[in-house]
Amino acid sequence: MTTEELHVDPAERNWIVASIMLLVVFGVAVAIAGFMLGIQVPTEEQRVDPRTVAQEAPWSNPGVRELVPGEEYEVYILASRFSFVPNTFEVPVGARVTFYVTSTDVQHGFKLQDTNVNFMALPGQVSKLTTTFEEPGTYSYICTEYCGLGHAVMAGSVTVTEPGGNA
Amino acid sequence: MAVATTTAPTASTSGLWSWITTVDHKRIGIMYAVSAFVFFLVGGTEALLIRLQLATPNGTLLSADAYNQLFTMHGLTMVFAVIMPIAAAYQNYFVPLQIGARDVAFPRLNAFAFWLFLFSALFLYSSFVVGGAPDGAWVGYAPLSTQLKEFIRMDYYAIGAQLLGVASLAGSVNFIATIFTMRAPGMTLLRMPVFTWMTVVTSFLLLLSLPVIGVGLWQILFDRNFGTLFYAAQAQGDPLLWQHLFWIFGHPEVYVLILPAMGIVSEILPVFSRKPLFGYAFVVFSGIAIGFLGFGVWAHHMFTAGLGPVAEAGFGLATMLIAIPTGVKIFNWIGTTWGGKLRLTTAMLFSLGFIAMFVIGGLSGVTHSIVPADTQQHDSYYIVAHFHYVLFGGAVFGYMAGIYYWFPKWTGRFLDEKLGKVQFWITFVGFNLTFAPMHILGLDGMPRRTYRYPEGLGFEFWNLLATIGSFLIALGVLLLLINLVKSYRKGAPAPADPWDGRTLEWTTSSPPPVHNFDEIPVVHHVDDFWYRKYGVDEEGRAVRVPEVTGGTVEVEVGGEDHGEAGHDIHMPSPSYFPIIAAAGVVVIGAGLTFSSTPLVGFTLLGLGVIVTLWGLMGWAGEPITKEAH
Repeated sequence: MTTEELHVDPAERNWIVASIMLLVVFGVAVAIAGFMLGIQVPTEEQRVDPRTVAQEAPWSNPGVRELVPGEEYEVYILASRFSFVPNTFEVPVGARVTFYVTSTDVQHGFKLQDTNVNFMALPGQVSKLTTTFEEPGTYSYICTEYCGLGHAVMAGSVTVTEPGGNA
Repeated sequence: MAVATTTAPTASTSGLWSWITTVDHKRIGIMYAVSAFVFFLVGGTEALLIRLQLATPNGTLLSADAYNQLFTMHGLTMVFAVIMPIAAAYQNYFVPLQIGARDVAFPRLNAFAFWLFLFSALFLYSSFVVGGAPDGAWVGYAPLSTQLKEFIRMDYYAIGAQLLGVASLAGSVNFIATIFTMRAPGMTLLRMPVFTWMTVVTSFLLLLSLPVIGVGLWQILFDRNFGTLFYAAQAQGDPLLWQHLFWIFGHPEVYVLILPAMGIVSEILPVFSRKPLFGYAFVVFSGIAIGFLGFGVWAHHMFTAGLGPVAEAGFGLATMLIAIPTGVKIFNWIGTTWGGKLRLTTAMLFSLGFIAMFVIGGLSGVTHSIVPADTQQHDSYYIVAHFHYVLFGGAVFGYMAGIYYWFPKWTGRFLDEKLGKVQFWITFVGFNLTFAPMHILGLDGMPRRTYRYPEGLGFEFWNLLATIGSFLIALGVLLLLINLVKSYRKGAPAPADPWDGRTLEWTTSSPPPVHNFDEIPVVHHVDDFWYRKYGVDEEGRAVRVPEVTGGTVEVEVGGEDHGEAGHDIHMPSPSYFPIIAAAGVVVIGAGLTFSSTPLVGFTLLGLGVIVTLWGLMGWAGEPITKEAH
């Protein structure tokens, strides 16, 4: 019985070399984007107890907090079956808005429609994401993680106001 | 013409009992195929109901509760009761034939795996009449799956998926042992057909991934019924743990679903291009690479779960990386057909369709690997579009190609090619009409797993189109069913080698005798059968070798007096213990499902243990060869 050699067609070899080079390029690009350009992806901020989170600060008083007028805002949102609290709220255009969202019962999601602001709200975990609204208007947001019978109707809206308080 | 006598008792080769006790890999393969097809019709009906509900905004055909059960069962059915068993059907029937063996390494375990699959799937479906089917989505995320205890639906989920996993695990062990120890002389690993290679890769994927979800599912059952707190955030448990455990299984699982179909297409393209597979070794190594890398990408299903930038960058990169071996396979398939003498049979049409549809699905998959883009796509219909392109346009098309390719070998008859081509085009158009609009719906913001959508968001037109497309698919499937039934009885007779094939299954009759081969072949090449038929002339063209005619190698043993000089081929004896053991295991599962009602639960558990022990002890104790009677 003869042993067979592995014959690599030159076209195949060139394709594989090109692919590996593309991979290196992508890898460098991802590293740059992730670590140097500060691209924001959702992170877990802290752990909480879902049984008591709604009774303790800050979620005992959910809603918008103004840290620096016109520039820095925080929004604390509680998700549960099947609503968000607060359901509607206002933030000014151009400000840095940081969302802190947690759930009191099962998994939920929070997605600002037509944006890539989309993260899970899990019980026991606070999800944090910072974004800036560039245009005034009213944006809807929905629950994206399947949470049962009322999942399809779990939604809310955020009104982004002009400086001077008009939407 | 038979030159060897078999010593398996052949008293009952027909009738229900012979099927219940069979350990013949070919019969088991047929049973898997028929069961998978029936569940395909059931899962498809679930899909049609879903599409009818979503055809119009604020649809009223289904309540939210009914819809949630239907979409959950649609996913569970298609993954566990259709695609995995149809792959098992092909693997069972053809791996021994392709490696020149007479059966698998563990024939009774093979039968056990089939009966366990069938009884588990039926058990899962019994939930519809016992308080409702699982309704937590096929991914069953905690704590939704652990907290709601008004019904036992998610107990059915935890046990049903567990049992189906055990059945697949049994099959994997069997194929690994068979492929490594029972190949014909001269068949080195790098001379095996690609389909057999993909079988061994998927078997390893299952072997390593099923135990993980097995543990996770036990944890769900225990959180629900026995007071544990694995996924309970209020007690230092972690819902995210379930997502990790599920997807460490769930991602390799999708490669389990697609690799056998890729193997089938890798066999069909060379035959109908009259050219060898381009870069055979790279197609094989790419399959292995996909399997290996498939364990390193699972958290790309969790990019919105708050893993943090380092983990997300890592998994995003790994997900892009896995597109490379996939691309190698695609280019090698194109290279196979390039310059070939193409015969556009139905099997070839489905194989070419597979390549095109899988590329589309793969491209949308690559867009998911870009993390900030994925956070917009996650849980939208864009994801639904992606996985249906790779699972239906990919896997299902590949398995349909296999039906047209191998039906002559199973039955000795051709499927109707004219009807087949009509069936292909209707299915192809219907499939694209159904799932292409979902890319747009997803990017327009329509979320998945919602039983209705409001008016005025622009979702109406595309949803209606998708529903129309789904009924075209249904027509296509109906035509396939008609073709199968019609051709089984009245199809044109097919010889042993109807397509001028390349691999060993075409050397034996259609259908094969129970012992597969009169004489185990000695293998010298990959595509060995082709080289027995064809040499090469001075200009490099294939020339038929004259001594071998009709594609069947006939061996005379002992001259005219076959009876005395013919050697005996011993085949494994039938047994009824595998079906008993499988039934017992499912009854144990039923007992665990009803743990919240201890009286029912313990009774079933006890009954199941007794039956399982009877089955296993009988299995262990029965003589390996039974007297012929």
